[in-house]
Amino acid sequence: MSGDLLTIAPLITVGLTAVAVLLSDGLTPNRRYAPIAVALAGLGVTSWILLQQSGGTVTALSGAYIGGPFVAYLGLLGSAVVAITLLISPDHLAARRYPSAEFAATLLFALCGAILVGASGDLVTLFIGLELMVIPGYILAGYAKRDPLSTEGAVKYFLLGSFSSAILLFGIVLLWGSAGTASLTEIATALTAAGAGLQPAVAMALALITTGVAFKIAAVPFHYWTPDAYQGSPTPITGYLSVGPKIGAFVLMIKIFLVALLPLAASWIPVVAILATATMTLGNLVALTQSNVKRMLAYSSIAHTGYLMVGIVAAGEGEASGIAGVLFYSAAYALMNLGAFAFLTAVQGRPGSTVQLSDLAGLGRKHPMLALLAALFLLSLTGIPPTAGFFAKAYVILSAVQAGGIASVLAIVAVLNAAIAAFYYLRVVIYLFMRDPAEVEVQVATAPLLRAGLIVAAAGTLLLGLLPGGLIEAVVKAIAS
Amino acid sequence: MSDLTQLIGGLPILSMITLLPFAGALLIALLPSSRPSLIRMAALAVSLTTFVLSLLMLPGIREFSSEFAFSEQLSWIPSFGITYHLGVDGLSGALVVLTTLLSWICILASFGPIQNRVKEYFISFLILETGMLGVFLSLDLFLFYIFWEIVLVPMYLIIGIWGGADRIYATIKFVLYTLVGSLLMLVAILATAFSHQAATGSWTGAFDLIALRGTITDPTLQALAFGAFALAFAIKVPMFPFHTWLPDAHVQAPTAGSVILAGVLLKLGGYGFIRFAIPLFPQAAQDFAPLIIALSVIAIIYGAIVAIVQTDLKKLIAYSSVSHMGFVTLGIFSFNQQGVDGAILQMLNHGLITSGLFLLVGIGYERTHDREIAKMGGWATRTPVYAALFGFFLFASVGLPGLSGFAGEFLVLLGAFLVNPMVAGAATLVMILAAVYLLWMYQRIFTGPLSPFLKGLGSHLTDVTPIEIATLAPLAAMIVAFGILPSLLTNAFATSVAQFLMYASGGLIQ
Repeated sequence: MSGDLLTIAPLITVGLTAVAVLLSDGLTPNRRYAPIAVALAGLGVTSWILLQQSGGTVTALSGAYIGGPFVAYLGLLGSAVVAITLLISPDHLAARRYPSAEFAATLLFALCGAILVGASGDLVTLFIGLELMVIPGYILAGYAKRDPLSTEGAVKYFLLGSFSSAILLFGIVLLWGSAGTASLTEIATALTAAGAGLQPAVAMALALITTGVAFKIAAVPFHYWTPDAYQGSPTPITGYLSVGPKIGAFVLMIKIFLVALLPLAASWIPVVAILATATMTLGNLVALTQSNVKRMLAYSSIAHTGYLMVGIVAAGEGEASGIAGVLFYSAAYALMNLGAFAFLTAVQGRPGSTVQLSDLAGLGRKHPMLALLAALFLLSLTGIPPTAGFFAKAYVILSAVQAGGIASVLAIVAVLNAAIAAFYYLRVVIYLFMRDPAEVEVQVATAPLLRAGLIVAAAGTLLLGLLPGGLIEAVVKAIAS
Repeated sequence: MSDLTQLIGGLPILSMITLLPFAGALLIALLPSSRPSLIRMAALAVSLTTFVLSLLMLPGIREFSSEFAFSEQLSWIPSFGITYHLGVDGLSGALVVLTTLLSWICILASFGPIQNRVKEYFISFLILETGMLGVFLSLDLFLFYIFWEIVLVPMYLIIGIWGGADRIYATIKFVLYTLVGSLLMLVAILATAFSHQAATGSWTGAFDLIALRGTITDPTLQALAFGAFALAFAIKVPMFPFHTWLPDAHVQAPTAGSVILAGVLLKLGGYGFIRFAIPLFPQAAQDFAPLIIALSVIAIIYGAIVAIVQTDLKKLIAYSSVSHMGFVTLGIFSFNQQGVDGAILQMLNHGLITSGLFLLVGIGYERTHDREIAKMGGWATRTPVYAALFGFFLFASVGLPGLSGFAGEFLVLLGAFLVNPMVAGAATLVMILAAVYLLWMYQRIFTGPLSPFLKGLGSHLTDVTPIEIATLAPLAAMIVAFGILPSLLTNAFATSVAQFLMYASGGLIQ
C-alpha cells in the first residue's frame, strides 16, 4: 500500500500544492505573488518526483494507475504548461481585479487530472482524470465573471463539454460492457480475441467515443465551442485552455484509440483521417478571415489539432513514431502557443482592450524586443526552422510518411495546410514590422513575471528547434513503456 | 597540399564562412541604433571578411582527393542520423564566392538608399547571407532544408519592410510560392530518408547526400520525390509557369534585395537540381527531362517576349531573368558536359551581369525616383559614365562574345543541340529577341534628346559616385575576365560536372 502511495506521489504533491496555495493566500492576503511562489515550488517538487519515476513502469491501485516514463513526460510537460501560465497571468488578472490564488489552485487541480489521464490503466480512472482536468477549465473560462463575453464562452464550453463527456461516458460504458473489462490493455486483448468484424455494441461504442473525443480535442465539425470560449476568456487563460486541456485530450485519445481500440484501427483510421483533414483545412481557412488576433489563434489551434491527429493516424497504422510525434508536437505547441498568448497578454495592458490586427501595426518600432519574440512564436507556429514548430511538424510528417497509406496522403494535406497557415501568421508579422504605427496605440505591460514567461517560452521554442535530440530521446523512452 | 590549405584545413573553415555573417548580425544587434554609420561599417567589415575567407578557401578545393573538400561532420540529431555536414566542391565553391561577393556589394550599395531602420536591415541581410551560404555548403538534406527555409525569412522582411509601395503583396506572394514548394520538398526528404532507413534498418546516413546517392531504386518514390524537389527548385529558379512571383518581388524589393534575389536566390534552384534532385533521383530526372526542357524553352521565349513590352525598367530585367534562367534548366537537363558546363556558367554570369543591371537601375532610381522607361530619354547626355556602365552590362547580358554572358549561353545551346536540334534552334532565335528588348530599352532611355522628365530633375541627375563605381567595378572586371577565359571557371568545376554526369546517368545504367 505504501508502495502505491509512492507511485501516485506526483498526484498527491500537486493536490497538496493546490491546498497550500489556498492556505498561503489565507495566511498572507494582499500578497499577489505569494500563492504563485508556493505553486511554482510545488511544481518543482512534483517535477523532481516525476524525474525519479521516469526509470521504469510501476503500477499501483490494482493496475488503475500506471506510473513510469510516459506519465513522467506528460507530468513534466503539464507542469511546464502550468508554470508558464502562472508566470504570464497574475499581473494581467490583478489589473482586472481577479484573484490569483484561486486561479493557481484551479490550474493545479487541472494538472492533477492531466496526470491521472496520463497514468490511467482503465476506463474509469481515465474518465475521472478527464473530468478532473476539464472542470477547472470551465471555471477558468468564466473567470472574468463580470465580462458577459467570458460568461457566454464559459457557458458554451461547459454545456458542450458536459454534453460531450456524457457521450464519451456512454461509449465507454458500452465498450466496458462488450469487452467485459475496464482495463485498457485487456480490452485490446478481448477485441483481438473477438476477431474480425465489428459487433453492434462495439461499433456503437466506437462511434460515441469518437464523437466525444472529437469534441474534447475540438476537431471539426465538433469545434464550435472553441472560438467563443477562447475569445471570451482572459487572454492568459485562453493560452492555457488552448494548450493544457488539448494535450490532455490527445493523451486520452492515445489511451483509448492506440491502446484499447488498436485492434479496431482499420475501422477508425478512415474516420480520424477525414476528421484530421477537415480540422486542418477548416481551421486554417477560417483563421485566414479573422481580424481579431485572439480569435485567429483560436482557429489556428483547431488547425494544430488537425496536425496532431495526423500523428494519431500514423500510430494507428502501426507506426509507433506517430505517438512520439504527437508527444513532441505537444511540447513544441505548448511552448509556442503559450508564447503567442503571452505576447497577446503583454499588449493588453489596458483592461477591457481587445487586440485587432490593426492595433498591432508598427509595434516593432516601439517595442522591438517584444515584437521580435512575437515573430519567433509566429514563425514557429508556421513551422519555419530553426524553431520547435518546424521540427514538430517534420516529426509528425515523418511518422506519417513511414506509416504509408492514408497517413502519407495526410502528410501532403498537412504541409499544404502549413502553407495556408503561413499566410495568416505572417500577416501578423507584417502588421508588427511593415505597417506604420496605429493611431491608437496599444498599451504594453510587461511585468517581470510576464517577461520571464515570454523568455522561457522563447528559449524553449528555439532550443527544441536547434537541438531537438534530447526531447526526441525523452519521447522515444516515454512510448517504449 | 599547399601551406595555405594546410593552414586553413585545420580550421572549420566552412562553418566559419557560413556562420560569420550570423555572428556579425548578433554583433550589430548589440550596437546602438543611433549610430547608423557604425552599423553600416560593421556590416561591410563582416561581409568583406567573409568574402576574404571564401577566397582563401577557394584554391584549396582542388587539392583534396575526395569529392568534397574541407568536410565537417558533427552528429546533430542522432536518433535520425541527422548530421551537421558541410563540404565544398568546385561548383559550390564558385557559388559561395559569388554569394560572398554580392553580399558585400549589396551592403555597400545599401549605404545610401537605406536610411530607415538601418540596424534591422543589416541584421536581416547578414542572416540572409548565412542562409544562402548554408544552402550551398550543406551535404545533409535536413540541414540543407533548414538553411533553405532560413533564407526565406530575411528576404521576406527585406522586401516587406524596405520595399516599394506594393511591397506587402509582393512579399507575401514570394513567401507563399516558395513555401508551398519547399514544404512538399520536406515531405520528399523525409520519405527518402525513411526509405533508406527501411532498406538498411538504420537511420545512419538517412539524410546524408553522399550516402543516399544511387541507393534509391523504388521508381514510385523516385518519381514522387523528384517531382517535389523539382517543384521547389522550379519555383526558385523560377521556371515557367511558376515565375509569376518574380517580377512582383523584383519590382518591390529595394535595390540590394533585387540584386541578391537575382544574383543568388535564383541560383539556389539551379544548384538544387544539380546537387540534390538529379543525383538522388536520376531515373525520374531522365523521365521528367523532356517536360523540363519544354518548360525551359517556353521560359526562354516567353520571358524574352514579355520583356519586350515592359514599361517598368526593373520588370523588364526581371523578365529577362526568367528568360536567362531558362538556359540554366535547359543546360542541366541536356545531361551532357557542354550543357551542364554552360548551365553553371550561365548561373554565375547571370549572377554577375543581372546583379550589375539591378545595381544600375537602383542608381538611376536614386536620382529619378522613377523607373518608367517612357519618361526617360537622352540620359547619356547628362551622365556619360552611368550610360557607359549601363551599356557595358547590357551588352554582357545580350551575350556579346568576349564578355562572360556569351560562353554560358553558347555552351548550353551546344549541349541542347546534341539532344534536340529543334530545341536549340528555338532557343537560339531568342538571343535575337534579347538583343531587341535590351538594346531597344537602352535606346529609349539613354539616346536621343533629353526627355522633359529628366530635364526637370535639373542638377539632381548626377553621374555615378565613387562608392557606386566600387560596387560595379568588381562585377565588370569579372565579366571581362570570364568572358575572355571561361576555362578559368569550367576548369574549377570540371570535377563537379563529371561527378554530376556520373550520378545523372546512374538511372540509365541500371
